[in-house]
Formats: sequence, structure tokens, C-alpha cells
Amino acid sequence: MTGPASYGEVHGPRVGEMSRRSFMRRIVGAGVGLLSLQFLAGSLAFLWPNIRGGLGGQISIGTAADIITQFPEWAAGTPYIYNPARLFIVNVPAAKALVEGQTPDVPDPGTTFGEDVPLADRSVLALYRKCPHLGCQIPQLCEQSEWFECLCHGSKYTVLGEKRDGPAPRGMDSFAVSVGEDGGYVIDTSEVISGPPVGTATFDTRGPGDMPHCSG
Amino acid sequence: MTMNERGNPIVRWVKDSGVWRSFFRQPYPTTSRTRALAVMNNVFLHLHPVRVKKHAVRYTYTFCLGGISFFLFLALTVTGLYLMFYYVPSVSRAFQDIQAIETSVAFGQLVRNMHRWAAHLMVLTVFLHMIRVFYHGAYKPPREFNWVVGILLLFLTLMLSFTGYLLPWDQIAFWAITVGTQMALYAPLLGAESSFFLLGGIEVGQNTLLRFYVLHVIFLPLIAAIFMIVHFWRIRKDGGISGPV
Amino acid sequence: MTIEKRPNASADKNAPTQAPRVPVVERGTGPKLPGPPGVPGTERFRLLAYVRQESMVRVDKRPDETVLTWPHLLRAEFLMAGLISALLVVASFFINAPLEEMANAGNTPHVAKAPWYFLGLQEILSYFNATVAGVLVPLLYLGGLALIPYIDRSPYKAARDRKLIWIFFLCLMIGGLLVTFIGSFFRGPGWNWVWPWDGLFFTL
Ligand code: FES
Repeated sequence: MTGPASYGEVHGPRVGEMSRRSFMRRIVGAGVGLLSLQFLAGSLAFLWPNIRGGLGGQISIGTAADIITQFPEWAAGTPYIYNPARLFIVNVPAAKALVEGQTPDVPDPGTTFGEDVPLADRSVLALYRKCPHLGCQIPQLCEQSEWFECLCHGSKYTVLGEKRDGPAPRGMDSFAVSVGEDGGYVIDTSEVISGPPVGTATFDTRGPGDMPHCSG
Repeated sequence: MTMNERGNPIVRWVKDSGVWRSFFRQPYPTTSRTRALAVMNNVFLHLHPVRVKKHAVRYTYTFCLGGISFFLFLALTVTGLYLMFYYVPSVSRAFQDIQAIETSVAFGQLVRNMHRWAAHLMVLTVFLHMIRVFYHGAYKPPREFNWVVGILLLFLTLMLSFTGYLLPWDQIAFWAITVGTQMALYAPLLGAESSFFLLGGIEVGQNTLLRFYVLHVIFLPLIAAIFMIVHFWRIRKDGGISGPV
Repeated sequence: MTIEKRPNASADKNAPTQAPRVPVVERGTGPKLPGPPGVPGTERFRLLAYVRQESMVRVDKRPDETVLTWPHLLRAEFLMAGLISALLVVASFFINAPLEEMANAGNTPHVAKAPWYFLGLQEILSYFNATVAGVLVPLLYLGGLALIPYIDRSPYKAARDRKLIWIFFLCLMIGGLLVTFIGSFFRGPGWNWVWPWDGLFFTL
């Protein structure tokens, strides 16, 4: 037996290495963390609403002729109020003419729709009556200004739903319109299309000071 | 050990019986020692320490605001439980149920009133409690985190009141919640999603009523109770309420 | 354990020369504690003796510093609970909770207001852009309140020793109160300014 006394191998981790115990602890910790995250995500998915509010689904509102039998002023440009879904159905060509001061008669605005078509060129718009500001119901077109004027805080929108005045963060929200099998208009209320951003002015460029209003 | 030497023999017999003494381990405390024991041994009382600082029991030091808030929480739990026996969270029934509670349930109007006024009062007392605690600088170490828990409880109180506001399903309720939740829609990134999630749809409707009901009667009270336990426990562990300025 | 308070440690250079009957620990050689003498929390102490605790009242505490929870605190709580219950019942007996017509999504009332504690927020919403008012303000408000103990790190509690945080807190409180007050009592149809004597648009 020569040489210095040995104390045998030193147990425990080498410098800069993790001990087995702390390695296990971290694995378990990470696992529990991951599971909690999954639980959270699962809860979110479970609670995510699958029924879209009071609306939802495809709503068939009939052909242009059907609307006019119920509401003859539609041909002259006044929006038709479809209350089961809280909508303004806007006859775009007629409404544009109305704003320009004519007395139009458009019994059939046509079937030009689609996301890529500018608002002013579409045939029919389905504007949501819930004000994008704080959710009040927007009343029928104001006769003095031919704008939609929310009475709650005075947000004002053109007949196409573009914002012109007031505290609202954007134009009026809308829903996609298409033509169904029976030739009538079908409104897809499963998804709200956010209104055009403030400053969009494709039609009716009058300012709020140019005419009298219904709301302050 | 004869506990009751004097008094009615029947009462004495009951109180000396093994059954009674299995319920209550000690007689009504009358000495410092037994009173200390009573606080220590009782699960409800042991939220308190055995002794408290003298200024802590002065009304004008705390105005009992925290205690009143907690008491109102308890009162709201009880009155709320009563209301739950008659209330169905459905858009076709909720309003009629509230009317029925007011008109055809004995003391129904009283219970509903108590629930409403206690709720408003609680928002107020929680807020005043916060101001009182700030005034005394009671958020100083080691109580920093308890202040944060307190702010969380303030937030939970507001949420409890807000979710309850919708339940009568009348015009006030509907439009207040419409306006209130629309504010959540303004969050820059997930605004629309968060409001959709909160409302259970794109506008206030049946899903919203049900969601708010569940939040109001069980989820939020449970969370609030948990944080109250933490809040009270920390007060005790940090040596009771803070001292005067 | 008895601790003797020594506001002026340097004055006591004469430690007992005889062996004391109870062990005495001198802390003269320990690390110096910072701070001038007389400032609360910074005095120096020395441990004089260990004393076995046998009584409820601790040796160095004046007996009137604390009171028993039962009856003192419990009595206060009991009284307050009774008072509040009485108040609640009496108020509820005389004042009915409001109830209007059944909710109707198609009929916006003249005045659509949030619950009163959110009216300040609604008021701010009418001044600023929505993201600022709807998100940033409430977040900063609650966040700011929660951060108070981490902003004000000084150990002093007197108002003159924490002027900054007092100003911060008062700004939050007064500002919040003001906008809530305006939103509650000075806003009518169309969120237009209405003096309270011209009409009160406020429901609890
Ligand atoms: S809700 Fe329409 S302007 Fe405020």
C-alpha cells in the first residue's frame, strides 16, 4: 500500500452538473407545468362559445320584391330594418341616390357582393345596428342628414356605415350578404365583419358641420 | 370535574353529560385562560390571534372597514343563496322570476333589496378599506404582498358586482352590461375575442346570462374566498394589523 | 429573552466585571449597525439575558400593549356586524332595488350607463381614444395601485416621510372620484352635460 490515502469516489454531481435529484425535480416540474398549461388551454376551448350569440347561422330575408312588399320605401333608398337580427338592409344604389338628393326608385338593386367589391359598388349591405362604440342600437337613417346617428354618444355614420363623427372607433359592423337558392338574399350572421376604419371615405364626403343632425 | 355547581339541575345534567362535552370541550369561557383557549381551539375563531394589539380594537383606527367588507360578503352569500331558490338564468324566465320574488315570495323583495344594497355597500367599503390602509402606510414590509392581494380582492369585488348586475335581465341590466362589456372590446389585440368569450356570443344574450350567472354564484365567490383566506392569514402571520403612524 | 434598548451604545463601556448570575451577551464587537442613534429602527441593542417565559405577559412588554381577543375584538366585531345588519335590513325595508321593464335589445334607453363604479371609465372613454381609455387606463389604475408598496420602499409611515406616494395616491383617488362623479351625475342623454338639478340620470 503506497501512495496517499484515498477517500474513495466523491458522490454527488461534478462541478457544473446537475444532480440526479434536481434533474428529476425539474422534469417533474416541467411536466406538471405542461399539464397545467394543457388544462388551461382545454378549459379555454371548452368554454369557447360555439353558439354565436343571439344571431348565428344563415338568415334568409327574401328577395328584393319580398322586402318591398313589406317596406315600399326600400326602393326609394330608406334602409329596411330587419329586427330579428338587428340589421339595416341597405339598398345601395337607391340609398346613394337618396343621399345625392334624388328621389330614386330601385326595385331590384342586383346581386353584386363579395369582400373585394368596394362598399359603394355592392348591391345590398347588411349593417349591424349595434353601435361599434358602446353597443347602443342605432336608429333609422336621420332625415336631416341622411346619416345613421347613434343617440347614445353621437357617433355618426354614412348610409354605407363609414364613420364620420363621434367617439366610435370604426365604421358600422356588417355581415356578408349572398344570394340563396331561392333567389333571395341570405345573410351570414355567424361572423361579424368589422366596420371600415376611421377615415375611410369612399362615398358621401360631407362633414358633420355641413347639415343639421338628429343627435348632438 | 363538576362544571356547573349551581343553576337549573336539568341544564346542569345536560352540560355535565358526556354528549354535551363531546360537542363543547370546555364550558363558556370566563377566565383569561379559558378565553385564550377558546380562541385557539375553535376553528372559526382561530382566524384571530389570542391577543391583539390594543389599537386594533379601536373603532376609529380601522373603522372596521375590512371586517365590514367581509361581513357583507357573508351577508351576500346568504341572501344570494336564498335568491337562487327562485331564480332561473334564462332570458325567458329571469325577469319574471325577479318579479315573482318581489311580489309573491314572502320577504322576497326584502331579500332582493338586501342583496342589492349590500353589494353596492361592499364595493364602497372595500374601496374605503384600501384608503384606510394606505393612510396608515400598512402596505409597508412585510405587508407588501398582502396589499397586492387586497387590490386583487377589490378587482374581484367589482367583477362580482358587475356579473350580478346583469342577472335581473331588465333594461338597466342589459344596457349597463352591453356598455360595460363593449369597453372590453377595446383591448388592442384580443379585444373582439375576449368580449366574444365573455359574452358567449357577439352580443348580450342567453349565453351571456348563463355565463355571468355561473361566474357570479360560484366561480368568483370561490376565488374571492380563497384570496380572503390568504389575506386574513397573512395579516395574522405578519403580526396583526399594522401599528399607528 | 430580554433585550435592553440602548439608544446610545458607546456610553456603556463598563460591562459588568463580576460574573453575572445570568449569562450576558455583549454585542460590542459585532458588526456596526448603520444609521444615527435615535432614528427609529436603527438603534443598537445588546442581549443581556435569557429569561424563561412562564407567564402570559412577556417580560419586557408593558402589560397594556395587547388585549385578549375574547372578549375585546370579538365584542367589536359582534357590535359592527349587528349594526351593519340592522342598517341593511332597515334600508332594504324602505328602499326598493330598481327594476325596469324586461331587457329589450331593440330598444336602447335614452341613457345607457354602465354600473356606477365603471362610470369614471365611461367618462374617460368619451375623452380619449378607445384603446387608451378602455384598456390602458384601467390596467394602469389597478396596476398602479398594486405597485404602491414596491414604489414606496422607505420604512416610514408618517405622511411627511412619503410625500411622493401620497401625491400619487391622491391623484389616483381624486381623479377617479372626479370622473366617476361626473359620469354619474352630470351626464344625461347622448352623454351630454346635464346639471344634476336639471335631471338626474343615475341608477344604482
Ligand atoms: S354607443 Fe353609439 S355613440 Fe356610443
